[in-house]
Amino acid sequence: MPHRWGMVVDLDRCTGCEACVVACRAENNVPTVGEAEAARGRAIHWIRVERYVDGEFPDVRVKFLPVFCQHCDAAPCEPVCPTYASYHTADGLNAQVYNRCIGTRYCANACPYTVRFFNFFNPVWEKPLHLQLNPDVSVREVGVMEKCTFCVQRIKAAEIAAKAEDRPLRDGEVVPACAQACPSRALVFGDLNDPDSEASRLAGSHRATHLLGELGTQPKVFYLQREGGHDRQDREGDQ
Amino acid sequence: MDRRNFLKTSTVGGAAAALSSCGHPEAPLVRFLPDEELVPGVATWKPSVCPGCRAGCGVLVRVMEGDAEVIRNGQHGVVRMGVAKKLEGNPEHPISQGRLCPRGQAAIQLTYHPDRLGHPLERVGARGSGEYKPLDWDAAISTLVERLRALDDRRAHATLAALTRPLRGVRRELIARFLQAFGAGPPSVFELFSDDVLRRANERSFGRRQLPTFDLSRARYVISFGADFLGTWNSPVAQSAAYGEMRQGRPGIRGTFVQVEPRMSQTGANADRWVPVRPGTEGVLALGLAHVMLQRGLASASSGAAVGALIDGWDAGLPAYAPEAVERETGVAARRIARLASELAADRPAVAIIGGAPLAHTNGFFNAIAVNALNAVLDSVGRPGGMRFMPEARITLPEVRSETSTASSAAREQSFSLLRDRMRGVTGPGVEVLLLYDANPVFAAPRAWRIREALAQVPFIVSFGSFLDDTSTFADLILPDHSFLESWMDDAPESGSDRAVVSVAAPAMRPLHDTRATADVLLEIARQLGGRVSTALPWHSYEDALRAAVQSVDAGASADAKTSADVWTLVQQQGGWWTETLESSSSEMKRAAGASIRRATPRFDGDETEYPFHFLPYPSQAFLDGSLAHLPWMQELPDVLSTAMWGTWVEINPRTAERLGVSQGDLVEVASSQGRLEAPALVSPGIAPDVVAMPVGQGHRTFTRYASGRGANPVALLAPLVEPESGTLAWAATRVRVARKGRGRLTLFAGGLRERPGGVTR
Amino acid sequence: MLLLAVAAGWRMWGTVLPPTVSEGETPRQPSARPTPSVFTPAHRTLGDAVEAFFGIRPEAVQPIAFSHRVHVENDLGCTDYCHPHATEGPQAGLPSLRTCMLCHATIATEHPEIQKMTAYEERGEDVTWQRVFGFVRSAHVRFNHAPHVRADVACATCHGDVGSQTVAQRLDLTMGQCIDCHEAQQAAIECVTCHF
Repeated sequence: MPHRWGMVVDLDRCTGCEACVVACRAENNVPTVGEAEAARGRAIHWIRVERYVDGEFPDVRVKFLPVFCQHCDAAPCEPVCPTYASYHTADGLNAQVYNRCIGTRYCANACPYTVRFFNFFNPVWEKPLHLQLNPDVSVREVGVMEKCTFCVQRIKAAEIAAKAEDRPLRDGEVVPACAQACPSRALVFGDLNDPDSEASRLAGSHRATHLLGELGTQPKVFYLQREGGHDRQDREGDQ
Repeated sequence: MDRRNFLKTSTVGGAAAALSSCGHPEAPLVRFLPDEELVPGVATWKPSVCPGCRAGCGVLVRVMEGDAEVIRNGQHGVVRMGVAKKLEGNPEHPISQGRLCPRGQAAIQLTYHPDRLGHPLERVGARGSGEYKPLDWDAAISTLVERLRALDDRRAHATLAALTRPLRGVRRELIARFLQAFGAGPPSVFELFSDDVLRRANERSFGRRQLPTFDLSRARYVISFGADFLGTWNSPVAQSAAYGEMRQGRPGIRGTFVQVEPRMSQTGANADRWVPVRPGTEGVLALGLAHVMLQRGLASASSGAAVGALIDGWDAGLPAYAPEAVERETGVAARRIARLASELAADRPAVAIIGGAPLAHTNGFFNAIAVNALNAVLDSVGRPGGMRFMPEARITLPEVRSETSTASSAAREQSFSLLRDRMRGVTGPGVEVLLLYDANPVFAAPRAWRIREALAQVPFIVSFGSFLDDTSTFADLILPDHSFLESWMDDAPESGSDRAVVSVAAPAMRPLHDTRATADVLLEIARQLGGRVSTALPWHSYEDALRAAVQSVDAGASADAKTSADVWTLVQQQGGWWTETLESSSSEMKRAAGASIRRATPRFDGDETEYPFHFLPYPSQAFLDGSLAHLPWMQELPDVLSTAMWGTWVEINPRTAERLGVSQGDLVEVASSQGRLEAPALVSPGIAPDVVAMPVGQGHRTFTRYASGRGANPVALLAPLVEPESGTLAWAATRVRVARKGRGRLTLFAGGLRERPGGVTR
Repeated sequence: MLLLAVAAGWRMWGTVLPPTVSEGETPRQPSARPTPSVFTPAHRTLGDAVEAFFGIRPEAVQPIAFSHRVHVENDLGCTDYCHPHATEGPQAGLPSLRTCMLCHATIATEHPEIQKMTAYEERGEDVTWQRVFGFVRSAHVRFNHAPHVRADVACATCHGDVGSQTVAQRLDLTMGQCIDCHEAQQAAIECVTCHF
């Protein structure tokens, strides 16, 4: 059976520290664009931490939500691509093939999660910052779309290593950069086809939900909802 | 015709004509012989120590072969070498446990920064102009040695001084011992967000001058007074790791978390209950909780007798801290206090944390003692799920005896205020030569301390930092350090684990530039000075000194190492040394001592009618105290609560903003008795109406191409009030007024879900 | 189709747009390097962009007339000393001069080409070999030698009969050749097998 890669995000563990955001940038050669371009909405973040603020002072509640490509099984970005640059792999990744991409940006428009980013210009690394670039990942040029790959380079490297030892991949052997950095272990990556994987186990939690699941995109990212909070009672009691 | 050929033919026409003149490759650079042979494309992992903050996280560096441009013997060329590609937490390391914070992830850019200083420099322009000329190392070192010899000739040894960022371990000791052997006073440390108040309070309460470690993973109830312990305070990676377990690491048990603070921090945003409190009254609230528990018999006074007895009125059950009285002072409803107290009492183990702004009031010491007393009432001191102190791992340089004196490491630090007065000539001895290492008081000290003027009076300043910043532009000579990845590293974390930890690491890569490790430079200077200085520092290199210091580690405490040679090998393999056994450190705490502590109310600078708002600067998620503002990754990191990038902002409550006619993004002027600044407004419900807040970190005058002249520096508004017990700056004690000035510019990260029926849905 | 053509054409032109450097005042900073510069996938000139688009690559000119043939005839295997990393990792790599001198400190020291190498060594320099094989950046190929070696793909399958050449001659490999072989060997042929 092929793998079916997925991620579980425990929102009760996530603290909004954004270690994942920087780790992703470091791993995947995601360029910085500078203030002027950022102000034009052209900053690229394969993973971001959203925050939802409810209530007014002093009864304020915040929810953090790390958002990245959901690698949907019914991905809205795929059928709209005229060059098949956005396609689904056998192990369930929503892949982006830079060579094929001609930059129509249809996929970005189709994606309800706004996780696809366009290279409006060629990225620039002021030397010697470029020495940090990861040779396992392409540097994308102007005119192509890019997004979270579930660190496909790490998946490929682990597959090659496992094959060299003639054994199957072990659970936990592939860890994307965001999950590896996460101080509170809010991100767990694994094979959803393996019922014994940590990710499968967590995805079966009663807290498991999908982001915008009602759109029928069938994401492979599960969000475990926060628990607790008898806040309302607290408020009533105080008044 | 297939797609590829179609594309080719249809786009060529116009382009072909323009072709003829272009495309001659440049002559390739000279390629130097490599110093090491690596397997190209295959990563090796080397331990190192994150220099980003005081947590002292052990990291693993992913090193791969790469082509680096270097200058050798004056020739520009390329060399194939191992270059660092990524930092990860070291899974073996008890503090980082294989994880890393965003600043740790970005620390790699310290090495590759385009504006890093790559060779010694001598000032040619006016001080602060940033005009320097390059110098070779021999000349640079002898320049400094001559200066020091001149002091020696004039018997003016005491006029040498050192100012560093907080350092621990062998590097700190080498500097201290150098000064001592030369005949100067101990080194001074400058740190804006200092936790010295808490260290001193812990010394009083528990006999340990140290920051505490919290056993969050086993706690069922956590109440934090202002501590951004998941973001920027103390040991955020270790604390976040434990927090994750506290929430979801135990089947059927989910710990509750309450945050007390007037401005919602990243940490506060995770709380189940967020309790805004009047600035500076956190200690009163803590004692209000203790009062309820004692009165209702939810806890016995005897459990915390020794620590609690420090508080005036303890034996009588804290009569002055009845909920109604506490409500009047703190603004927290009496019924809420009662409910929090009963939850605390019921959900044991419970633990209280204090950090950040509550310590940075003029009554910070009282606040800390009060929270310590609350921990005592909760019986959390030294208990599982409570607070404890990390066992101290002593790695010290061996004593060196000479005829005249004994060089040891006894010297503590000299207070920054004393150094300031010495520089300004207010008190003797004056400062003729100042050694500056990565401290940036020109940026991060209040204007009233007149740091610029003080530096201007120092005849000779030597900086060892890797960047030109607001302070090091005053240096006459710059002897740039290696990056942490290019150098030996050591650190001795004071918090974050229940094991004794020393982080030590060999260089992960070869130096990119013509820099030298500061410890090596000091040893070289000691050698050239000769006499008692070289006797006191007999080691040839930082590595030698480290090796000597590691001998002091108790080999027996580690399961894998039997001899000191084993320890040295082990230390290099795993990136440090730590005990295997879980030590219970509670027994090492001494009983609290000293006179009882009276309730202290916070003082604020600025009249309430003229300056109606409390001003709360806070360490920014990306830059901490500003020392990481030069990293482009940190500049482009959207602040998790505001999503702002590449700038500063002023946080204002929506009701206040409405009253002032300010809307999101408007430029506002914030003024205190000390100065004024302008920054865009960020309207946020997570802040009390009488408080305005600003992240610290931007507003550098000089700090590389990425941070210079960007945003505003809130420190410029701070009044020079200090917490009297520790002498540290009371950075939360300034009042300000706010007025709209016009339209501003706020760069927010545009990302967001286009449709959000209910956020996450099933 | 026209739309596609315009889009693709724009993409090619776009690759020579001047690099965007991040904003901010730049105060005087003593530079560590003589040529402060940037790394960017942008082509330096329009000519470069057009050549890259057509896959025109300049011929590699080697500083030393290295003879693969002589070495192979002397029973040196490709991965014995010179390109051992092909068996261990993604890149075969080029040997540094140190590897060459392991033998040539004593062998054929009078040969004029070897004397060139001795001169390099005396200057502390390495030979500035030019890459012959290798994918252009815009191909976005993450090729890995080791699994191919483990699958017993002979070097000559992709590199041609280097053993009869002096300096190596480039073969124009196409993705079709990769896919033919992958299909024959029942290896994966989906895009992200190689492109990521």
